[in-house]
Amino acid sequence: MRYVRSFFGFWYDFLVGDRPELFVGPIAALFLAWLTTRASLPAPMAGGLLFLLVATVGGLSIAWAVRE
Amino acid sequence: MSSIALVTIVSSFLASAVEFVEAVTIVLAVGVTRQWRSTLIGVAAAIVALTLLVAIFGTAIVLFVPIDVVRLVVGGFLLIYGLQWLTKAVLRAGGARAKHDEAAIYEREIAELRAEPPVPAAGMDWISFTVAAKGVLLEGLEVAFIVVTFGASAGMLGPAAAGAAVAGALVLGVAFLVHRPLAAVPENALKFAVGVMLTGFGTFWAGEGVGIDWPAGDATILALLAAYAVLALVGISFVQGRLANRRLRVTGASPGH
Repeated sequence: MRYVRSFFGFWYDFLVGDRPELFVGPIAALFLAWLTTRASLPAPMAGGLLFLLVATVGGLSIAWAVRE
Repeated sequence: MSSIALVTIVSSFLASAVEFVEAVTIVLAVGVTRQWRSTLIGVAAAIVALTLLVAIFGTAIVLFVPIDVVRLVVGGFLLIYGLQWLTKAVLRAGGARAKHDEAAIYEREIAELRAEPPVPAAGMDWISFTVAAKGVLLEGLEVAFIVVTFGASAGMLGPAAAGAAVAGALVLGVAFLVHRPLAAVPENALKFAVGVMLTGFGTFWAGEGVGIDWPAGDATILALLAAYAVLALVGISFVQGRLANRRLRVTGASPGH
């Protein structure tokens, strides 16, 4: 059990680390971009939205880190 | 050679060089403080494990997983990982996070290793083996992750692995010659560049994975890289401005100022 916990702990630290918003944010951004591609909107919109969302996630994470 | 292959090699080379520099610091500290033979056996064991990981997972992903799924899942990981690198690089450059200092890390490693039990008079020193193997494995795992994700998303596992191998050979060669940590390597600047690259490529490939039809095709990658680089530079100014304001507030609030 200890090895299983350390295995998952290692991968959590590796992929999520101390800033969970940088893991959850891009996944949410990709989900919203996928919804946009399904909504028959102009093609560049989904790409532009994905870029803006990723940039926003990065910006917010930096702002939170500075505040802490 | 296509421009995508070239960018794949360069990105993989830069990302791997940074990680190899960190691994070399640990290996040098162990070898100098304890026993070179056991240290190098530990390094060799870690390299074999990493090579197997890249060969097995990389080949399996490229051969058996449909490219759209690879681009979504693996591109998504690349995006997450790139954004983590980039935000850390922005925070370091802006002064909100301590910069990576290989010389200081080397001194700390040496102090910790000197506190361990002495090296056995004969045979294997398992402390040297374990510390060196663990250090190379952990830093190398990041290299393996970048090589597999970058190589699989671009369908260029070979060039990505070649970039990492060249970086490894170069860093090891220089470390062997100078015999001290490579503190002069501009690690933070390299991490900034790699963060921009991984985020840009991750956005592009994961975007294709969710069905985005990028308006300018592959040329969109260059626009994404430029846009992320500009935003990251703005981020550095933002961090520096916030920290300067905070220092002013603290100075202003202190009695006697």
